[in-house]
Amino acid sequence: MIVRTLLERLEQYSESTAIIHNDTVLSYRDLSDLINKWLTKLNEEKIGPGAVTALIGDYSPDSIALIIASILNKQIIVPLTPLAETHFSEYLDLSRTQHVLDLRKGVCAFSMRDAEPRQNTILRELIEKERPGLILFTSGSSGHPKAVAHDFIKLLSKYQNAHKKYRTLCFLMFDHVAGIDTYFYSLYSGGMAVLPSSRNPADICSLIEKHKVEVLPTSPTFLNLLLLSEEYKKYDLSSLKIVTFGSERMPKAVLERLRRIFRDVRIIQKYGVTELGSPASKSGETDSTWIRIDGAHFKTRIVNGVLHVKTDTAMLGYLNAESPFTEDGWFNTGDSVEVDGDYIRILGRESEIINVGGEKVHPTEVENVIYEMENISEVVVYGEKNSIMGSIVCAKVSLLAEEEPDRFAIRLKQYCREKLPRYKVPVRVFVVNGALHTDRFKKRRQQE
Amino acid sequence: MKEKDRLVRTIFRAVDEYNRGLSEGGPLEKSLDKVLFGKSGRLDSLGLVNFIVLIEEKIEEEYGMAIVIADEKAMSQKRSPFKTIGRLAEYVSQLLEENKNG
Repeated sequence: MIVRTLLERLEQYSESTAIIHNDTVLSYRDLSDLINKWLTKLNEEKIGPGAVTALIGDYSPDSIALIIASILNKQIIVPLTPLAETHFSEYLDLSRTQHVLDLRKGVCAFSMRDAEPRQNTILRELIEKERPGLILFTSGSSGHPKAVAHDFIKLLSKYQNAHKKYRTLCFLMFDHVAGIDTYFYSLYSGGMAVLPSSRNPADICSLIEKHKVEVLPTSPTFLNLLLLSEEYKKYDLSSLKIVTFGSERMPKAVLERLRRIFRDVRIIQKYGVTELGSPASKSGETDSTWIRIDGAHFKTRIVNGVLHVKTDTAMLGYLNAESPFTEDGWFNTGDSVEVDGDYIRILGRESEIINVGGEKVHPTEVENVIYEMENISEVVVYGEKNSIMGSIVCAKVSLLAEEEPDRFAIRLKQYCREKLPRYKVPVRVFVVNGALHTDRFKKRRQQE
Repeated sequence: MKEKDRLVRTIFRAVDEYNRGLSEGGPLEKSLDKVLFGKSGRLDSLGLVNFIVLIEEKIEEEYGMAIVIADEKAMSQKRSPFKTIGRLAEYVSQLLEENKNG
């Protein structure tokens, strides 16, 4: 069984370093001991199989050991990072959490809530089958979060074959499907997971240098910031072998700059969906915005330009919404894609497509063009309702150096006119101060 | 008439900016009665949308008021407010008036 495999591997790798966090270095044996400590603690608190348990915290040896202990204890786990704090009460309600384990202050604070998980069909099934569960949240296109329920064992099954040992920096969030993928892959393969305490470019570069990090899984937004900050010039990053990015489409200009700067690094796009887990994927040889998905576990088909997926690691369902699967098990990802043989390229969310008088505009296509211009820090392109055209294209841009906004708007329109059909040229251009990304290093596409 | 001049001047600033940014088939003229949009009009709908957004921005700079020129109401007027710059100016002055009072 998969959980036993993990325990066997912890045993097998015992002397190797499993986790580095600040000044703490944990071997696999230390991690085993820590897991056992937490198992005892869960037992003392009378948290047993089937208990829906929220775990509040960011990366730390304790948070990782506690997740594994909770899997061994067959609980249903709800990981929450402090970034989601404003949503906590909603998330706890949606997941029918009974126990809250708060690690934020370094020690674990236990508290209990009144909740009836058995009233939910999916949770009841997990409880009755004594399967550990994992609840994650997606913001959903309607703005109402959806609670995604996974069978943790199914999700872990793909790591049985994990064998490439790397020193990996766990940049992606602790409560995000790609973040979970990062540290479980690392642990199953006997690698070393470096846990960050901050995600600003200087701190990340310093961790890479200090611990000779080989793999950095991250987001296009962070990579853009890394280039803009020029922090990479101040550190020795020669240990890096692989940089992966996911969750958003990569602006071409950023990718090209990265390739020039990190010549010996493989830069790979990943594709992960909260509802489906992260499949293994390979980027195309010549242009790494093309991805080839591992077809054995992740079957794909394209319906009207939108990617549908069928996979064994798919979630059981939403706790608070209808099943999105077709009768024969396909999941509509809502991602518009281009297809070329075995390869796909993500164009963006179908819901973000701007319809200008019947013509479709993908925000990322316009963003790519704007990124080619001088003096651009960040760009977000989005649609605005308009009674003449249905929608118009708008661009919010933050600049590196100050520029008179009207002049800049003209410059932008002129540049875009040379590169794009007229209907794709932004009609409204806002020059803004400050960051256009969220604390999770994803683009903020909604209008305020 | 002073108010009207101020408004026309503001709209002409939008004309300038339109011409610099995306002039299509020659510059837009600073004329109150040249046909702008509609039969034998100078602008197509995309050009009109761009021009109107610029007027809205210039109005906001000049008057400190955010107005929406192209909405359901504008579209349902018997006399199209988009036919000429003169008509647009009339319609915008009406909007500014309403905005002040309401």
